[in-house]
Amino acid sequence: MKRTKLELAVLYILSVIIVAYAFLPFLWVFMTALKSPEQIFNMNQIIPTYITFDNFKQVLFHSNFARYFLNSAVISIVVTIISMLFAVMAAYGFCRYHIVGAEKVKMGILFTKMFPGVLLSIPYYVIMRKLGLIDTHTGLIILNCSFVLPFAVWNMCTFFVQIPWEIEEAALVDGCNRFQAFVKTIFPMAKPGISATTLYCFLMSWDEFMYANTFISTAMKKTVQVGIRDYIGEYSTEWGPLMAAVILSLIPVIIFFVFVQDNLVGGLSAGAVKG
Amino acid sequence: MKEKKRKLKLKEYSFRQNFYGYLLVAPAVIAIVLLSVYPLLQGIWISFLNYDMTKASSSNFGTFAGLKNYLVIFANSKYRNAVANSVVWTLVNIVAQLALAMGVALVLNEKLKGRGIFRTIALLPWAIPAAISALTFSALYDTKIGVFNAILIRLGIFKEGYSFLGNVNTAMPAVIFANVWKSMPFLMIFILAALQGVSFDMYESAAIDGAGKIKRFLYVTLPNIKEPMAVAVILNVISIFNNFNAIWLLTKGGPLDSTEIMYTYAYRQAFVDHKFGYAAATSVVIFVVIAILTVIYVKMIGAGRKE
Repeated sequence: MKRTKLELAVLYILSVIIVAYAFLPFLWVFMTALKSPEQIFNMNQIIPTYITFDNFKQVLFHSNFARYFLNSAVISIVVTIISMLFAVMAAYGFCRYHIVGAEKVKMGILFTKMFPGVLLSIPYYVIMRKLGLIDTHTGLIILNCSFVLPFAVWNMCTFFVQIPWEIEEAALVDGCNRFQAFVKTIFPMAKPGISATTLYCFLMSWDEFMYANTFISTAMKKTVQVGIRDYIGEYSTEWGPLMAAVILSLIPVIIFFVFVQDNLVGGLSAGAVKG
Repeated sequence: MKEKKRKLKLKEYSFRQNFYGYLLVAPAVIAIVLLSVYPLLQGIWISFLNYDMTKASSSNFGTFAGLKNYLVIFANSKYRNAVANSVVWTLVNIVAQLALAMGVALVLNEKLKGRGIFRTIALLPWAIPAAISALTFSALYDTKIGVFNAILIRLGIFKEGYSFLGNVNTAMPAVIFANVWKSMPFLMIFILAALQGVSFDMYESAAIDGAGKIKRFLYVTLPNIKEPMAVAVILNVISIFNNFNAIWLLTKGGPLDSTEIMYTYAYRQAFVDHKFGYAAATSVVIFVVIAILTVIYVKMIGAGRKE
């Protein structure tokens, strides 16, 4: 079933079109970020004739962007730690003990992942107002856990099922207690799954917009996804700094991509298809 | 199956022997019940109450309203418009994404040089945050600086910048185009993963039997990938139907409600108009649709597991 030269040529052309379709918007954002205001508003200059880093300087040193970035980072790290800690414990419990109705509970957890955020946000507002958590990072951390935690539990369960648990039993026979056995034998094997899930949890929290937009009102408490819209004014938009901020806000995403790229195709789809 | 039983020797069946198991599972389960299940039930309850936040001091605030909220929203033409838009938004999105994802997956499944890089770049739109992709498209569509207008003006098709998002006729196609760009790669990953499971021998024997390319696709490829694909489609329909960012950040449901879907309508009722009762009723309808789709999804992956 060798491809003819013509077929190969067509396939390469199609591949280039696919890549261009996916990548050109990024390239244009990047070019806009490197343009001066005159260049941005000159419709004939799609490709900049000279470049400037003024937009990046303005975003980093003369706006609240760094603060927003820090807020997002702190919130996402706390959400990730809580979710992963609970998820690894729960996945181990589900996998290694006989829990009555375990399958039903796991399906229920999957179900909660699908709950529409807008339905939950109404009682969240009522409850958080009673607890004084509106406009606080603590409140936002709790809300983000509501969708990150079910994902983490479900994903860790699918990874843990694939582990050859006899090794843990061998370690138990050799006199380890269960905690030692887990740390010494299972953790190294589960590491790829744990690290991929950890990164994904971080990103889910980093990307969150609706709750942050609804429940945070103080300017200095905003997250990146909300704060980045500061550059959009009612009558005019500062496109240069906005595009520079877009590029900077993608740094964690790029790091994520570099780390999990290798097993992206198999790793991400496995949890959803095989269950 | 027998081997599996042996593997799980540590699983004894009495509660006392599994005490630590329950202890390990408890924090996650309790947290999920408090964070998702309890608010869900309270949200459903609010949909049956008089809960207009702008009239919070009135005497009937928080009292039982029966089906009043539902009857009010069902009678509202804006709500029916949002339902119709939701149907269009979901159907066009999934059909366009599926067709495109299938094509892209078939190309990227070929053994080409640089395939790894092609795949990685094709996935990029999926990895970026929804808020950021919306910003990107609001810049691309802009009348003064947008590249679409720049190209169309240069080609002489337009004399001056055209507002894609500000026009009733083009707003919906424009937000759908942006969402297809963002979400299609996710579907593509699933199809690609499924395609990799189709063995090469099957193509070869089909080719020997004289099957042409289209026949091979219809009779070898499709039957082998249809189950994982169906799962991916359901999952995608749920996330399209549940999508807030892709519309709110580009048009806020406008102009003239032309891009208002049920989700943005519910959000507007809650956090712009502060009518929590109506918002909850609208959201419960969304939840029912999602619940039906989720039950189908769970049945599908449950069936896959038993095999």
